[in-house]
Amino acid sequence: MCQAIALPIDELPEETVQMHKRRIFLRQPAVTREIRFYFRDAQPVIPAWIDSQLSILPWGNASKVSRLPCTGWCRQEDLESGLWQHLHPILIEIPATLGLEKNVWYLIPEGGLRGIIVRDERRQPRVYLVTQPASHYYEIMTRHNRMPLFVGRQM
Amino acid sequence: MNRIGHLDADCFYVSCERVRHGCLRGQAVGVLSNQGACVIAKSYELKARGVTTGMPIWDALPLCPEAIFIKRDFEWYEVLSRRIRDVTDRYSPTIEFYSIDEMFFDAGTMDDADAKHLQESILRETGVPVSVGISRSKTLAKLASSSGKPFGCTVAVERAAIDKLLFHRPVEKITGIARRSAKKLLGYGIHTCDEFVRADRRLIRRLLTKCGEDLWWELSGTAVLPIQTTRAAHKNLSRGGSLGIATADPDRLTGWVARNAERLVEALDYHQVNCSVLAMSLEFKAGGAASWRLSLPSMTADFSLINEGGLKLLDKCWQPGIVVSYMHLIAQDLSARQFAQHSLFDTPSPRQRVLAEVKRKINDRIGRFALRSGATLPLKDLYADSTCSYDICDIYGKTCF
Repeated sequence: MCQAIALPIDELPEETVQMHKRRIFLRQPAVTREIRFYFRDAQPVIPAWIDSQLSILPWGNASKVSRLPCTGWCRQEDLESGLWQHLHPILIEIPATLGLEKNVWYLIPEGGLRGIIVRDERRQPRVYLVTQPASHYYEIMTRHNRMPLFVGRQM
Repeated sequence: MNRIGHLDADCFYVSCERVRHGCLRGQAVGVLSNQGACVIAKSYELKARGVTTGMPIWDALPLCPEAIFIKRDFEWYEVLSRRIRDVTDRYSPTIEFYSIDEMFFDAGTMDDADAKHLQESILRETGVPVSVGISRSKTLAKLASSSGKPFGCTVAVERAAIDKLLFHRPVEKITGIARRSAKKLLGYGIHTCDEFVRADRRLIRRLLTKCGEDLWWELSGTAVLPIQTTRAAHKNLSRGGSLGIATADPDRLTGWVARNAERLVEALDYHQVNCSVLAMSLEFKAGGAASWRLSLPSMTADFSLINEGGLKLLDKCWQPGIVVSYMHLIAQDLSARQFAQHSLFDTPSPRQRVLAEVKRKINDRIGRFALRSGATLPLKDLYADSTCSYDICDIYGKTCF
């Protein structure tokens, strides 16, 4: 499913990095620091490209602050069958270099992930990651049967 | 006296991934097999945490929870391997493409400075760090390159330098001496490379046959193994492997036969050979294996004949309901097409030959398997992943296997 994403800090604007300092991690000494976005955070957020602008937006609705689905993910099949139509979802791209699933950090193919942006009853935007049935490779690697929809080459 | 060089890329698969993903530099990285289960290559950082090649990912994770895992991409690795070769070509007229990450070359009169220059040129132009060894024979050069890893540069040409290289180095470090051979040597008190060289050559011959004797000459400083610029002709060609998702679905198995047949035909075309015998071997998920072989109607590299043969073999090897986990299709009794003797009853027909040629041209232009047999449709999940289209055996010209 993808419980977290990470990207090197030099891929985000300096002011964004400063605003999210507590999300900065160092995996190994003396290597590039990365910024991580976990869905399990108290107030999860996720970067998203909207109209060529990078924004950090609320990720899903885990804390049930709105009437939107209380999750952080949206099944591609549900999207295509129209189950989300009433929310007027807009497809977006989520920049991500690494993904996390069941404690396995994996490299995301170039391009990042697909997400949707929907607005809650207060017109606040929220991002949901689009998921698809996991490939055999992904399922063996992470032991999860769903994986994110990748912008570039599928895993 | 001509010197022989050996270069060996450091953590080649990981290094290749670092070329295109700079964020992986310095990180603990593991490259996973096609099925996502096993670590087939690791960075030094991951190795330091106790992760070994072949370790399942679920065993590696507790050792290094911060590791980053990547799916292997042989097509990319071949690109960089060929680039390394191109750089080496400027330094030496004679190169043996030993494996995807190793090459032997005629080092002429290269010294430390020349070897260092080669190493730095490769790093600068390809981004891949390599270790270089130069000595009097292939075996010594390989030992020299591995002794200096990572990013080592070892020239051991003078007697003293060779002695230092061999001193106290375990015999298992010699390419060609594995556990069984090492055990035989141990029985005669030979543990190390220097002891191996001091042993009686006839004893080594008796214990390890001519191959062992060749190694004795090589380690003594006499080059007896030539640099092979071209690979010897294959005796057999095989394609197949793990099915990924083990299956008892007859449609999927038929699809796998077609896929392996197409890949086999590609290999036969590349090597310009035909085959007259086809063999299949299956491994079953519950354990056990089965194999069978049959003679084809003629010497051929035609897909329809090989596929038809494969289906007959599947019928012999497999019972409905039994879950298959591995399949190999093997072309045997190969002969060069230039020596093919034609008959009045040649198969395939001219029409089939034209169709095969059209298929080849389309796939050459658009991409491998762009046009493929309809029998492979049940495997569309496999074809959706482009990295599955390329395997280590698709990198031609390697002499090691």
